[in-house]
Amino acid sequence: MNSLRLPGSGRLGKPGPGGDKDSTPEAKDRVVQQTDQDASQSRLSAVETGYLQDPFASVFVSGGVQRKLPLINRGTYVRTTAIDKLVNSFINSSQTKQIVSLGAGSDTRYFRIKSTNPTAASSLIYHEFDFAAVTSRKIASLLKGEPSLAASMLADPALFVDAPAGSLTSPSYYIHPLDIRSLRPGCALPVGIDKSLPTLFISECCLIYLAPAEADNILKWITQDFTSSVGLVLYEPIGGEDAFGKVMIQNLAARGIVLKTLKKYSSLERQKERLRILGFSKGQDAADVDFIHDNWMDEGEKERIAKLEMLDEMEEWQLLARHYCVAWGWRDGGSEDSFSGWEGVWPAQKYSKI
Amino acid sequence: MSDLDYAISQLRSCKPIPEPAVRELCHKARELLIEESNVQIVDAPVTICGDIHGQFHDLMELFRVGGDVPETNYLFMGDFVDRGFYSLESFLLLLSLKVRYPDRITLIRGNHESRQITTVYGFYDECLRKYGSANVWRYCCEVFDYLALGALVVGAGSCVGETGDEVEVEVVGQYGEIVTRLKRTEQQQQSIGGPPGSGATGSARGSKGVNNGAVLCVHGGLSPLVDSIDKIRLLDRKQEVPHEGAMCDLLWSDPDEIDGWGLSPRGAGFLFGADIVKHFNHINNLSLIARAHQLVMEGFKEMFDSSIVTVWSAPNYCYRCGNVAAILELGEERSGGSVPWSAADRGAVVRPGPGRRYRVFEAAPQDSRGMPAKKPVADYFL
Repeated sequence: MNSLRLPGSGRLGKPGPGGDKDSTPEAKDRVVQQTDQDASQSRLSAVETGYLQDPFASVFVSGGVQRKLPLINRGTYVRTTAIDKLVNSFINSSQTKQIVSLGAGSDTRYFRIKSTNPTAASSLIYHEFDFAAVTSRKIASLLKGEPSLAASMLADPALFVDAPAGSLTSPSYYIHPLDIRSLRPGCALPVGIDKSLPTLFISECCLIYLAPAEADNILKWITQDFTSSVGLVLYEPIGGEDAFGKVMIQNLAARGIVLKTLKKYSSLERQKERLRILGFSKGQDAADVDFIHDNWMDEGEKERIAKLEMLDEMEEWQLLARHYCVAWGWRDGGSEDSFSGWEGVWPAQKYSKI
Repeated sequence: MSDLDYAISQLRSCKPIPEPAVRELCHKARELLIEESNVQIVDAPVTICGDIHGQFHDLMELFRVGGDVPETNYLFMGDFVDRGFYSLESFLLLLSLKVRYPDRITLIRGNHESRQITTVYGFYDECLRKYGSANVWRYCCEVFDYLALGALVVGAGSCVGETGDEVEVEVVGQYGEIVTRLKRTEQQQQSIGGPPGSGATGSARGSKGVNNGAVLCVHGGLSPLVDSIDKIRLLDRKQEVPHEGAMCDLLWSDPDEIDGWGLSPRGAGFLFGADIVKHFNHINNLSLIARAHQLVMEGFKEMFDSSIVTVWSAPNYCYRCGNVAAILELGEERSGGSVPWSAADRGAVVRPGPGRRYRVFEAAPQDSRGMPAKKPVADYFL
């Protein structure tokens, strides 16, 4: 599709329209930060349409719900449900453990766990990392309303909020204003992180915006500095080489969004290899969203969501869904392996379908 | 200049026309369409087009590649609206051309020409945004109810073009360059490539012999409730697309590599296999079914020994998919060029298809679109 005439043809990797004045590093970071609003609007749309249950989705969206297309709702549902399955398997083991959500933005997962699975939440310490601009907005949302989400869910004598700095600490929930590009082997540990606890890291469309070396450093930090068992769940686009992928790169570039690791980790095979090489040695697997929809969801759920909205184009759904993957890998901590529940449980896909 | 010609010139430059003009146009269109039968008879030569989906600038590209109305005789197989940014202008332009040149353009109904679907997929919102009320959407939906359900192309020639080469299938790029030619005698399993540099590899296969069967055009496909074209003629079409039944199936079904009938993952219509198509074509004297409804990255896709073809005419669908588009030209029978379907061939299940020229084209240049640069053009998961 080299001759396809589209916006920004031949300008790949450069800023999109208006990009010249927005080309400072701070402006580029702002564009990435804004993707969080996209994600939280998509989540709210999927909740309002009945795909997901999440009473916290509306807390972080300003203004009303913007209804997304059925295929976007379905994708949001599959993404959330797949990551939930991997997360639930980890948190249901009995010992004390940590979750670190990289570029968490206004994700609601901690509150969902706390409200639906209090037992697991009682032995869980949850950390969120993101830019201060994002975390301070999140904290403002947590504090608004009567009662606020912070008051009803985090009422704890040890809760400490520094709203201007965008930081929140409590015994079980932390929001860190932190540029994750500072994470690398040997870096100072953020407050409250215990490298001897079994820890699950989550990156939902986060590492993809970092330069490959920066993203790799974070994974090395995880596997080299933590002494416990560690696991990682990644959700991100794959496949930039085909017609759909090229248009995706161009369309996002027009918004100033660059998928920096897409080329390096462009397939399920490459994602698995990435996890293995960077130290998630016990197991690595990956599947695309189309495959996960077909193979991870039970029939009743599939039927239920199929009835919510009429999906007009199956081909378009497959095209889109095959360009997003969930990849997961883990390393045990000697005698302890909190990720044994991942072993051979989730149907994995042999080859990318793109 | 008549009001109608003025409306056409406005719409050709992608400008909406005033609400009273839409009302008048829709009224005239209804009067015309009410006289059409469920299955319109169309004489070859004709150019068959698939989904448009409000991609106005790509519709202009289609006319550039395929010729203008009324010089070219067109048959559009539905899905004029939804998804793209210019459903209103695209549909009203086609409709005004229909009223202006009723014998040179045929419009049949797609599954998106429905009240229910347009409220989810964009046309309703677009009308509301452009007019401040739902009146125009309502006028258009009333027209949808009168659109034919299918068309039968008769008199299509057995070979492409004027040469004596007996070319059955020809694929032409958007600048008129011939990409592939397949002679009727060159048999079986040849893959036909798209235009150079497009990455397209539409698939088509030659079939042997001659033809004088008709070509059925329908948006989606077949229905287990319809075993003959006469049964389609008996349907009461002047209604919203039902959730089930023959009319729904014609607009929603898809061919698939299965035996017999299967459940559709779309939630409406059915999947149908090669055996169903071949049997239907045989008993209805069809040489080919042309349908739209499914995105094809290469613009067109022939299946089941060329007994059915999907034609897709929305390039880079939803400004996201990266596909090329195609239109299908069926020429008229050349005098003396046809050998009648002989008694000896009657044992054969598959009637050989007519000569088919696919014109493959890409999305219109972005600078011709005037789209707001800041607006996200397509949704992704971020």
